[in-house]
Amino acid sequence: MKLSDYLLGALGIYGLPLLFVALLVGSVGLPLPASFLLLAAGSFVAQDELSLWSVLGLASAGAILGDNIGYALGRWGGRRVFAWLGRLFGENSGFSKTENWLKRWEGSGIFFSRWLLTPLGPVVNVTSGLTRYSWPRFLFYCVTGEALWVSLYVLLGKVFSGQVQAMSEFFGDFTWVIVGLLIVFVLGWSLFKSFRSSSEASKT
Amino acid sequence: MRKLGRREWILLLFFLVTLVVTGLFAARAFRRATYWRAHRDETIRPWMSVGYVAHSYRVPPPMLYEAIGVEPTPHDRRPLREIAAQQNRPVDILISELQHAIIEFRKSHHPPGGPPPPNGGTSP
Repeated sequence: MKLSDYLLGALGIYGLPLLFVALLVGSVGLPLPASFLLLAAGSFVAQDELSLWSVLGLASAGAILGDNIGYALGRWGGRRVFAWLGRLFGENSGFSKTENWLKRWEGSGIFFSRWLLTPLGPVVNVTSGLTRYSWPRFLFYCVTGEALWVSLYVLLGKVFSGQVQAMSEFFGDFTWVIVGLLIVFVLGWSLFKSFRSSSEASKT
Repeated sequence: MRKLGRREWILLLFFLVTLVVTGLFAARAFRRATYWRAHRDETIRPWMSVGYVAHSYRVPPPMLYEAIGVEPTPHDRRPLREIAAQQNRPVDILISELQHAIIEFRKSHHPPGGPPPPNGGTSP
């Protein structure tokens, strides 16, 4: 029995409380089929089994709460580990560079990992806490991003209410394609920079 | 062409691996989309409720309940898995009974050349 089959069946029986808990736990980092649950909840809305506003409200609340638990874990749990690593490798090491790089991209990173690059969400939560990203800003990107994600998938599920399984499989792959393209781009860019800097170095 | 350093080799390796994996996912997404366009029917799975199957296949729910020997009740959201467990039989049998009922229903309600019958529970 697949986990998604089990959870979706449970959504039928337990309804909104299950949706809330699953989205909370999924946002903290447990690999649950959260997008699939949102699509299925949208289909239940179309079948008049669940109410649209309570689905949107509770699902968003669960996801936002889960994100903040991840943030808190990074901020108060992981900071000591981070500081120790920084001392170990020295202030100007690649490690501090990574931290700076994270800080530069965090705002858009938080927003896009809520709804488009969803597999990256839990990691972004923890790193945002680790790098002490401003909490009010984190919360702002969380609320807007999660509300967008939840509305998008629930409404898709409501409109295509008879094709939840097929859509979930398609969007699951589609999301990984977007994540893959992003990584390809980042790696390609650092390769390009590395080639350019070494060819400039060989000229001088 | 100058020689690649160790860091560049590693970057290049990760770059190529990610490219291949992304390509595989893209191909599967494309295949799913084209399959879906061609068939339109959802594969019946154990998580679905009878109501959902009826909704997805656009057939009247009482007909499906009758096919699997269950008394229809409003707002019955039990998944097929649970109904099968209560009837003490494998869910696959329940699913094939539903598929059979849908095929029969479509035969009697659609003229020849109408929408295709449901597939046999296979997915791409």
